[in-house]
Amino acid sequence: MANIELLLLFLLASGIVSYFLTKWKSFVGSVFTIFSTMFVFASLAMYGFSGQLDTTVNVIPVLSFAQTNIGFYFAIIIVFVYLMVSFFHPYFVGEYKYKNSYNVMFLLSLAGVIGTFFADNFIQLFFAFEFIVWTSMLLIPMGKSKKAAVSYYGFSAAGSFAMLFGILVMRSVSGSFDIDLGLASLAGGQATLVFVMFLVAAFSKLGAFPFHIWLPEAHGNAPHPFSPVLSGALVKLGAFVAVFAILRIMPSTPLIDFANSNLPHIPLGQYAVVILGSLSIVFGTLMAIKEDDAKKLLAYSSMSHGGYILVAFGIMTSQAVAGGFYHILAHALASAGAFMAIAAVAKQTGTTKMSELGGMIHKMPITYIVYLVAIISMAGIPPMGGFISKWLIFQAVIDKGMIFVAIAVFFGSIGSFLYVFRPLAALFLGQELREYKVKVKEAPFLMLLPMLIITALNVYTGVIPSAILNFTNGMLVDLGLAPVSITMWDIVGTTGTLNPALIALVFGFGVVIAFIIFIVLKKSKKVTLMETYTAGNFVHDEQLLHYTKDFYAPLERLYIKYTTIMKEFYETLAVKVKEIGRFGKYLFMNKFIGTTILWIIAILLFLLVGEVL
Amino acid sequence: MSSLAVLLIAIPLIAAFVSILSKKVAPYLLLIASLINVILLFYFVPDGIVVIGGYDLPYGINLFVDTFSRTGLGVVNVLFLVIVLLNIVEFKKYSSVLLVALAGLNGLLLTGDLFNLFVFLEISGIAAYLITTSNHKPLATFRYLIIGAVGSSLYLFGLIIFYGMFGTLNLMDMVSFIQANNVDPSALVLPAMLMFIGLGVEAKLLPFNSWVKGVLKDSNTLSGPMIAAVYAATISFVFGRIINNLLTLAFVGNLLIVVLVLLAVGIFIAEAMAFASTKVREILLYSSIAQASIVILLFVNGIVLWAVYLIIANALSKTVMFLVINKATKDHGDDESDSLQGVFSKNILVGITFSVATLSVMGLPLFMGFVVKLNYLTELAVGAQWALLAVILISSIIEGIYFVRMLIKLWYPEKNEVTVKFDLGFKVVFVAIALILLALGTYTAPLNTLDNSIDTIAEVIDNG
Amino acid sequence: MIQYAAIILIVFGLYGLLSNRNIIKMIISLNIIEIGLNIFIISVGFVYDGIAPILTSTNSSSALLYVDPLPQALVLTAIVIGVGTTALGLALAKKIYSKYGTFELDEMGDNE
Repeated sequence: MANIELLLLFLLASGIVSYFLTKWKSFVGSVFTIFSTMFVFASLAMYGFSGQLDTTVNVIPVLSFAQTNIGFYFAIIIVFVYLMVSFFHPYFVGEYKYKNSYNVMFLLSLAGVIGTFFADNFIQLFFAFEFIVWTSMLLIPMGKSKKAAVSYYGFSAAGSFAMLFGILVMRSVSGSFDIDLGLASLAGGQATLVFVMFLVAAFSKLGAFPFHIWLPEAHGNAPHPFSPVLSGALVKLGAFVAVFAILRIMPSTPLIDFANSNLPHIPLGQYAVVILGSLSIVFGTLMAIKEDDAKKLLAYSSMSHGGYILVAFGIMTSQAVAGGFYHILAHALASAGAFMAIAAVAKQTGTTKMSELGGMIHKMPITYIVYLVAIISMAGIPPMGGFISKWLIFQAVIDKGMIFVAIAVFFGSIGSFLYVFRPLAALFLGQELREYKVKVKEAPFLMLLPMLIITALNVYTGVIPSAILNFTNGMLVDLGLAPVSITMWDIVGTTGTLNPALIALVFGFGVVIAFIIFIVLKKSKKVTLMETYTAGNFVHDEQLLHYTKDFYAPLERLYIKYTTIMKEFYETLAVKVKEIGRFGKYLFMNKFIGTTILWIIAILLFLLVGEVL
Repeated sequence: MSSLAVLLIAIPLIAAFVSILSKKVAPYLLLIASLINVILLFYFVPDGIVVIGGYDLPYGINLFVDTFSRTGLGVVNVLFLVIVLLNIVEFKKYSSVLLVALAGLNGLLLTGDLFNLFVFLEISGIAAYLITTSNHKPLATFRYLIIGAVGSSLYLFGLIIFYGMFGTLNLMDMVSFIQANNVDPSALVLPAMLMFIGLGVEAKLLPFNSWVKGVLKDSNTLSGPMIAAVYAATISFVFGRIINNLLTLAFVGNLLIVVLVLLAVGIFIAEAMAFASTKVREILLYSSIAQASIVILLFVNGIVLWAVYLIIANALSKTVMFLVINKATKDHGDDESDSLQGVFSKNILVGITFSVATLSVMGLPLFMGFVVKLNYLTELAVGAQWALLAVILISSIIEGIYFVRMLIKLWYPEKNEVTVKFDLGFKVVFVAIALILLALGTYTAPLNTLDNSIDTIAEVIDNG
Repeated sequence: MIQYAAIILIVFGLYGLLSNRNIIKMIISLNIIEIGLNIFIISVGFVYDGIAPILTSTNSSSALLYVDPLPQALVLTAIVIGVGTTALGLALAKKIYSKYGTFELDEMGDNE
């Protein structure tokens, strides 16, 4: 169905229906959720690509929609991730505490997503934004931690209210809440103020430095089928707000130029964004390297990829922005794939701690392939989609001559390979632990199906990027930038031309040759886990010999002392607010009547003295 | 039949006198009187000015029925009836007191004469003190009494200074006199501030509100919602009317800044105090203080309509929240949030309605609180009050965090199982209020049909 | 002149509320505040050289100079309200005494 409003109402109605179905039998309710999400995705895909979505509003008069390229791009990616994840529901939902409401909140947050990206006025945008926040917040405590939802809400609220402040400034200047009108009416100091407010919102939603504390707690502790949604889909809301802030408001700030004054300049506002983005990349990478829990590690990787997106948008050339948009797609797919693979492993074994797992490749080979493809894309290695976007971003960074940012970006790439390799080695490679040898099987078919689809898409986006880049060129034109020149097989950059299909072909060749060598030569000898060289010492604690424990210990030792600074900062902030509260209670709410009388007299005297003087 | 409004005050008062004679009949009289009040209000009482005793304005007392008072009367009478219905079995002894309270509250909302307002303020106040004795904490009630009496005396002091200056006690008359003679605002500073402080004590503004903690901290299902929802709504309506008409003539220049700073600091510190509390009733009462300060802030800025809606939304939400928590505390013994953990895991319907009320107070979408919050923030922005806007937004972040923390603790049990039983009557009320909040949050057309001229005193003055 | 006396009484009463910890003394201070307030109210209506505002056989015209009768009516109401509040306060004091055994706030321990 082509009408956006009807899609929204359909989702609200199916949310209510799924509550009752899940109450009756959780399996049936989850299957119903799959079908609802599939229907929404099919409608959007069928009509949206050709721009034919119907934006007329018949039932609820306060809503109004507009279809823009950017909005549709975000919406289709996020709805796709929701669809893929919904296949996991029949296996997971039955064991949560409030399982009846799981599917309801899932569908309601999807309704909020559609409302956000197709909104044409700020009030609807804000309404849908907040709606997504509270429906997703109620799902997080069903996982492992209850505090995670509080910090998720705290940072989201800070971001949303900053955005609301910016929206109200625009309202008071332009007189209406319309998005295009409001953005066009900004000038001067107000533009900078709204820019900063929207940036705060974007940073806190993306989980970029310095608002990143909630990311590992929320994503790491959320229920297993919800983490891919949080990490792959909902952080993209922050990217959407970043598009508003950086690309459409563009306050006029002094220009910065670099070593060579022949190179193009960049305004200070955007440069600040780029620096903070690079800090996100570096810190996210470092925190991920030392992390032991697979899901928290992937959450930190989302933080560093958020930094990539910010760097891309901050540079503001057409290549960079195209790279940013492409990275949103590639990261959504890769992150969803990786989280879903971890969820499958967690379902079969019951844990996500890497130091307790090993050797899953023997029993779950398909999940292994899914995870492998996903992390190749995340690390930015050809022939997967992540390489294309990173290539575009690297081009742009070098083009502008920003040396330190380039160092951060390259470090992020290398570091990302370091940290994505660790779960692969820990979970899948190596030897099977005794406790899992018997009962672990491959994940069920309904869970494998979405993972395989995502894997195929990961490869597709890396080999033939032209179709998607055509679409993003449309978005670039919307933003007033020149489109990136592409042909069917090539991408033209400033330092050369990239032919992804050719690279994929070469890689395929290499894989085939390596496989032939593997089959032809002698097999390896199997040893048990603990048969390693111990120089004659007796092995007391087998755990320490598990080769993925303290995997990167030498590197971690360099910075392990500094990792809690930001977290302690925010905790201190909370304590300070509590102290203000206790001070208020001491001053105003103690048990002696005299203090109130004293305050009354004080205020009266204050006024009388002011009047007399 | 245009003087039917008098019956709204007279019937409960007569019933109160009669009920003293016979203790057994008292509860039935209470029920009948509140029911008659509601029916009268919605079907029979017309708009307009009712002159009492045949003494024409401005010499006599008059009652003023317009949309503003009608809204206030509707909210207060209906909520009063609901709370009484839920508690009548348990609190039979308080029937006479509740009848006096009903008469006093209706009088407060209806009267147009400032001294009459003082009298009704004291009547409702005495009834409130007696209602709070049901908490069995005589020291807290005593504190409430002393501070309330001092507040009312200050109000009377200010009123008498006004009388000395202008020679009239009637609100409309005084306002038109001040406006006609262009009285210098600086001459009005002292009495206006005295009246503000006097009413502010009852309206829970900082720093005059140390009684709130004592009274609501140990409340039960009768006194909690009554003081926090019904009384709070009434005082806010009355205070709003006086600020909007009389005190804004004095709040100009530096005095306005002082008042706004007082209110803004009050909002922030109240939210911080709630953040620092762990007992659920304390969290709720500090949140009430903050919301009351926001309401008065909106009235001072002239945003009358959304202040009224905020009062209604808060009264509805706080009724549900206090009823739930007080019933849970009564069954369980204490209200420390750690010991009430997981109380909703067995009472899912109650939990959902409580969450709806909380999310509405926080201002999250799909509920009435969001619509109201967005609109009043827009009005503040249009009036270029950026500092107040920033204070309210920052306080909202703090409010969101502690409410979410409280909600999650109440839904997810830690180790012990908490069992609380809610009667059917309570559940019906909760569901009804939750549905109202949901309906007004999604279908906002009825809210937009009125505008700031809801308080028609200014119009009446202009028409002579 | 008399208004100064009224205000001094009110200040005494406020000081009494501030400095006393005894329940009965606080009620008495409250009463002093109310007395001061009532005197102030009456003094607002005072007209120099005015007579009592009652029509009698000797003063039967309303054109004579009389003091303002309205504040006197207000004060009657205010006195009654004060009596009611004091009665309630004393009843509460009795309850407090039977619960804690003392009238001093300091000795009542931790009520919070």
